[in-house]
Amino acid sequence: MRSWKWQMAAVALVLVWAQTALAGPTFDRVMKTKVIRAGIMTDSIPGAYYNEKKEWVGMDVDIAEEIARRMGCKLERVAVSNKTRIAFVQQGRIDMSVANMTHKRERDRSIDFSITYFFDGQKILAPKGKFKEHKDFVGQKIATMQGTTSEINVKNLLKELGDPKYETNVISFQKESECFQALRMGRVAGWSTDSTILLGYAAQVPGEFELVGDFFSNEPYGIGLPEDDSKWRDEVNFAIQDMWADGTYKKIYDKWYGPDTPYYFPLTEKIEMWP
Amino acid sequence: MLRRWFENTAFQYAGLLVLIGLAVYYWGWVFDFGYDFDWTVLYEVNKTYGINLGHNLIAGLKLTIWISLISSGIALALGTFFGLGRISHFKPFYWFSTCYVEFFRNTPLLIQLFFWYFALPMGLPADLREMLFEQNFELWSATIGLSIYTASFMAEVIRAGLQSIPKGLLEAAYSSGLSYFQALRTVILPLAFRAIIPPLGSEFLNNMKNSSLAMVVGVAELCWQSQQIESLTFRGFEATTAATILYLGLSLTISAILNMINLRLQLVPPRQRGLAYRISDVFFYPFEKIWAALAHPVHLLLAGQRHRSLHYTPFQALVHRLMKGLRISAGWLFRGAFVAVLLYGLVEAAIGLAGLKWSVVWTNLSTLLIWRFPSSDNPNEILWGLGGLSFSLLMALIAISVSFGIGLVVGLGRMANNRMLCIPCTLYIEIIRGNPLIMVIFWVYFFLPIFIKTYLDVFWSATIALTLFTGAYLAEIVRGGIQNIPPGQSEAAMSTGLNYFQTMRYIILPQALKQMIPAIVGQFIAIFKDTSLAFVIGVLELTFVAQGLNNRLMVHPFEIYTTVAFLYFVCCYSMSLYARRLESRLSPEKVRLQM
Repeated sequence: MRSWKWQMAAVALVLVWAQTALAGPTFDRVMKTKVIRAGIMTDSIPGAYYNEKKEWVGMDVDIAEEIARRMGCKLERVAVSNKTRIAFVQQGRIDMSVANMTHKRERDRSIDFSITYFFDGQKILAPKGKFKEHKDFVGQKIATMQGTTSEINVKNLLKELGDPKYETNVISFQKESECFQALRMGRVAGWSTDSTILLGYAAQVPGEFELVGDFFSNEPYGIGLPEDDSKWRDEVNFAIQDMWADGTYKKIYDKWYGPDTPYYFPLTEKIEMWP
Repeated sequence: MLRRWFENTAFQYAGLLVLIGLAVYYWGWVFDFGYDFDWTVLYEVNKTYGINLGHNLIAGLKLTIWISLISSGIALALGTFFGLGRISHFKPFYWFSTCYVEFFRNTPLLIQLFFWYFALPMGLPADLREMLFEQNFELWSATIGLSIYTASFMAEVIRAGLQSIPKGLLEAAYSSGLSYFQALRTVILPLAFRAIIPPLGSEFLNNMKNSSLAMVVGVAELCWQSQQIESLTFRGFEATTAATILYLGLSLTISAILNMINLRLQLVPPRQRGLAYRISDVFFYPFEKIWAALAHPVHLLLAGQRHRSLHYTPFQALVHRLMKGLRISAGWLFRGAFVAVLLYGLVEAAIGLAGLKWSVVWTNLSTLLIWRFPSSDNPNEILWGLGGLSFSLLMALIAISVSFGIGLVVGLGRMANNRMLCIPCTLYIEIIRGNPLIMVIFWVYFFLPIFIKTYLDVFWSATIALTLFTGAYLAEIVRGGIQNIPPGQSEAAMSTGLNYFQTMRYIILPQALKQMIPAIVGQFIAIFKDTSLAFVIGVLELTFVAQGLNNRLMVHPFEIYTTVAFLYFVCCYSMSLYARRLESRLSPEKVRLQM
């Protein structure tokens, strides 16, 4: 009988705990607990990935850490994927999603975004010397990741270029690593996503792959934030602008995309600054 | 007084209705989901993309059905072949079949699919690879990978069915002058099929559910399409509900067909045939007609042979002897060719394996086994940075222990006379078992937090999903175990004055549990393999760690996937050996039938 009572007590305790864990408005909660829960990817090189020492590193990790530092908070990293990053913000499981996410209007209907903190565009990665321009990819298979804007963009591109089978010629995988493997073994002629991601992977096997053609979409990255919490959004925006103003942003950027890295990607644009 | 009320069936139904009403009222009006449901995404044209996403879902359903049908067909053929191999006198065939069955049964389907899709083409010559890629490689690697996996289970079902036939029957068939194929066709198979068809049917069902894994290699089947709707419109709840209902519908259809087949296998005298039998009559009418039309010429042919005169002219006798000699030598030739092909494959595989760079695996072995345990510098990793194989084992252990409790309660609940217990328990079992595990994982991961308003670590989400999933299967094992105990036992216990709980506690369960142990170990192996699915939500278990490693090293997929498959195999195989030892200790009188 005794053990039954204990079990009942445990169940009751769990229920009480579940009730207290209710998420309130993000700003108040963060200021009270001094903990920011940030959604970060795990397999995007050099955005956020596990390195040889099994540490979770990358540009997004550093940006998130810097934002937390500026607010005097501790950062709690939550692993997200292209599937979960929006759902988690919606559900309040994370306070911000720093997960190389393009700011899109369709997405802005469900969550809010910070100002653009990174400028990217979509390209196609292909074996060196095989393709010259986008037109060459008509009738060829192209890999993308499921649930990304690049999947829609590349389908539209093929459709415009007059590929009748654009639906089936785009193969959507679950992970970036899987796309790259499909490209390496020749299953697909090209892999299309944001150019920095492509650079990151192409740098792993130097000289084998190259980017083909121009950007065919703009991909302004924003930090995903909970809907309708303007105080919290202000705080994040200010942190990003301060970072830019005092040069910390440039330092982080150069660490991952500077001329000395294998992923060299010149910084050509400026983030939005408010006087 | 109260008890009298509870024994009243009408009262039980009323109680259920009240409970359902309360639940609907609470979740429908009182509870705040913080989410606006919008079911129109499933049937209206989406303005942003200009497509009706409901059509995508239907296309996914069609593809799921297509994959299930084709892979079931291939699996049945392969399964029969290897099932016969498992009882063959011819040792190389026996060894080969045994290796096949044990290997594919004891590694997760997910790893196998990754291997077929990502690793195998790298090991092929360039022109052959080109030829493969001309085809719809995603679809075919998924379908054939699925068939190979299912075939290994079917082979065991078929072997068990064949071995359930008393040895004397076979000896009698042989001594009455029947050949191997005649004995098989006219004596062994017709009898064995009665024992084989019910478990074979559940393999067809599993096969359909496993087809959901084809999404990992980019096949746009039902599960993939529901995820697609989620990522296009962020209407995950609606899309997943729709997919769940479609899967459930498919499962129920398959089980209905299976039940009808089971019904027809029981020899029921015409007068006692109920409504279900009449329905199955209508359903099977066209099939029986086709079968009869096909069987007629074959019958004529065989009948002709049967009445053949045994008095040969010398010439006929010569021809007969020649043909017999030819048949025997062809048999030996076939065996020789089989061994040669087998040896060639083995040597090639060994050369291939030896040429790989195993040092990569060696330096990363600890990563695969324990990830970065022990380390405490990252507070976001639970259990001191544990991961990899040990994480998978831990998940399986927690899931099996907790789900045993669930299985016991729900299994007993399903057998209860009280409708208020029986109906909810049956619903739980059937809904969970009618869906692929990956759907259960999505539900727990995405939607459980909305109901309980708290967020769980991915590890706990996956473990809860595995527990709920296993619970439904264990409940059925418990039910089977208890129904095996003769009813006289519980009647005797009740009449000595024990109440229900005492009867269960002291009489029924101790006996039933002993019988259930092999099945429970089997379930544990299944759940251990299924932990690989937790990779979709990012749990740091073996598959996820292997993928991360592969992602970083990039150039050694073959080595990594082979090692991971081997690691899973070692764990599962040792457990299944243990299960077999237990089984033989519990029923020692088995004789191995050989053909």
